[in-house]
Amino acid sequence: MNLLTQPVGLAHYLVVGAILFVAGVVCMATKRNGIGVLMGIELVLNGANLNFVAFGSPSLRADSQYAIGLDGHMAALFVIVLAAAEAAVALAIVLSFYRDHATVDVDEADELEG
Amino acid sequence: MNFFEIVENTLRDTLGPSLTAFRPEMAVCATIVALLLTRMLAPRWKSSPFWLTVVGAAAALWFAAPWHYLSGETSERAATIFTGMLVFDTFSVYMRSLLFVFLVFFAVLVRVTGVPEREDLTEFFVLVLGAALGMCLMLSANHMLVVFLGIEMASVPSYVMAGMIRHRRASSEAALKYAVYGAATAGVMLYGISLLVGVLGSAHLPTMGTQLADMLAGGHFADRTMVLVLGGLMVMVGLAFKLSAVPFHFWLPDVFEGATAEVAAFLSIASKAAAMGLLVRLVIAFGYAPDATQLAALAPARQYMAMLIGTLAAVTCTFGNLAAYGQTNMKRLLGYSTIAHAGYMMMPVAAMAMLMGGEPAAARSAVSAVAFYVAVYLFMNLGAFAVVALVRNAAGSEEIDAYAGLIYRSTGVAVCFSIILFSLVGLPPLAGFAAKFVAFASVYDAGMLALLAVGLLNTVLSLFYYLRVVKVMVFDTAEDASGAMAMATSAGLYLLIVTAPLVVWGIWWNGLYAWAKAASAALS
Repeated sequence: MNLLTQPVGLAHYLVVGAILFVAGVVCMATKRNGIGVLMGIELVLNGANLNFVAFGSPSLRADSQYAIGLDGHMAALFVIVLAAAEAAVALAIVLSFYRDHATVDVDEADELEG
Repeated sequence: MNFFEIVENTLRDTLGPSLTAFRPEMAVCATIVALLLTRMLAPRWKSSPFWLTVVGAAAALWFAAPWHYLSGETSERAATIFTGMLVFDTFSVYMRSLLFVFLVFFAVLVRVTGVPEREDLTEFFVLVLGAALGMCLMLSANHMLVVFLGIEMASVPSYVMAGMIRHRRASSEAALKYAVYGAATAGVMLYGISLLVGVLGSAHLPTMGTQLADMLAGGHFADRTMVLVLGGLMVMVGLAFKLSAVPFHFWLPDVFEGATAEVAAFLSIASKAAAMGLLVRLVIAFGYAPDATQLAALAPARQYMAMLIGTLAAVTCTFGNLAAYGQTNMKRLLGYSTIAHAGYMMMPVAAMAMLMGGEPAAARSAVSAVAFYVAVYLFMNLGAFAVVALVRNAAGSEEIDAYAGLIYRSTGVAVCFSIILFSLVGLPPLAGFAAKFVAFASVYDAGMLALLAVGLLNTVLSLFYYLRVVKVMVFDTAEDASGAMAMATSAGLYLLIVTAPLVVWGIWWNGLYAWAKAASAALS
């Protein structure tokens, strides 16, 4: 099946979601800047969110037996709120790390080891 | 059904059975509001956070009423509340009651040992109760959205608690590591949830189980196996982080070292208990269906989960015990001990996944083994971290060297700590032995002999590093033999109360085990 010649359906949304997820994971794994890592986490969450919305859309699913309907949209809304709360806390923690260490480089967080 | 009927039905369901079953959580919510209001309205009442938390947690325990639901008189089956989002059964009653008991003990511990930033006590308890609320949701989750919400609600306040001590380099580093790893694994878990939900066509856990059974029975899943396996693995990443299972354990020793001993106690007990309860729930959701043909069809899913969890348990246990050897910091040592115990606790869960198909009675006793272990573990680790906090206050150090000659300086503390450590090893006649015995018995029932061998071998391995601490306390002499350690009477009494159950349950463990049995009665 060639996705490029098909009309836009569920698979296309899932591909975009997967790309966002992979981009986020790569970003989390390679960024040394703490804020960059947090941006990667946001990408992962949004990739999952896109999946939820696509799975929840009745017009995109051919096999309506497996449609999750409003559950998908509700999940997406909750995740947006959670992502905001988590980002607020994580940024505050990065700020407090910066005050103590004068850097936001996560590789500098290496004093606790053993 | 028109709109008004739907509203009517939802209202009746919410105000009737749902809110009645949700009273413990509402008590926790009310306590949070009361804490914040008291801080605003009566700022001079310095000990208000402690009293309000104790009263709130006790009220929550009263509403959870384990003596009512677990005494065997009521034969209430599992009920779903809030239109199927949460499940209310004896397992959630038992686990949440343990959580509230822990909250009471935890508040008293903080009162006895003190926190470094006294003016932040209100915020500290608000965070603790907020995390506890999330853990309640994890323990009674019946819907994938609640699973994720619960995990996040439990994690986000914990990140802040890890970094509570301001202007201390280790503290902010611990918080950063915890937050970054936690958020990353939560993101991966959410993606896994989205895959599972999409493929199975529902986010309601029991429905997901039956859909999976139909899919496996119908044989039209070939193109979806990969997605299911991958989704399951990703969900396991998030759970493994909460359980501190290898390879997602690396945050735990660092966070324990950077945070205060009290926060470490909270993370190692409450957070672990909630994650264990959630693991049990998810395994049951994907491995059990009330219908016999569906139950048989789920055999591959059970096999997969048993292998995954069993392998993780064996590796976690072995790694935790081996890594504990080289530690010089007491909190790091207890951190690795926590990792090892997470491994022991996961063993009966793997056994349960194995047994659920054919032998429901044996599977139930595996769940009660987990429930029993969690209760014993609560007092073992609470006592251990209380000792760490007391020695920190008296000697100003958390290194193992600071414990040298403790028996001459403070005999009671040294004896209590030795009992706790022997219980952590699992030596009879202490409660740790009973817990390990029932856990290993269910692993034996499941016929997972390799796992059993790993567990037994690990128990022997762990003997040495726990005993090393006892040796330091008894035989080594301190460089500065500064005489008796100054310690408040309340602290000694607290330690005695926390240690007593380990001795009592070690001999008379039938009572607690009957409750753990009752906790598993409503499952499958």
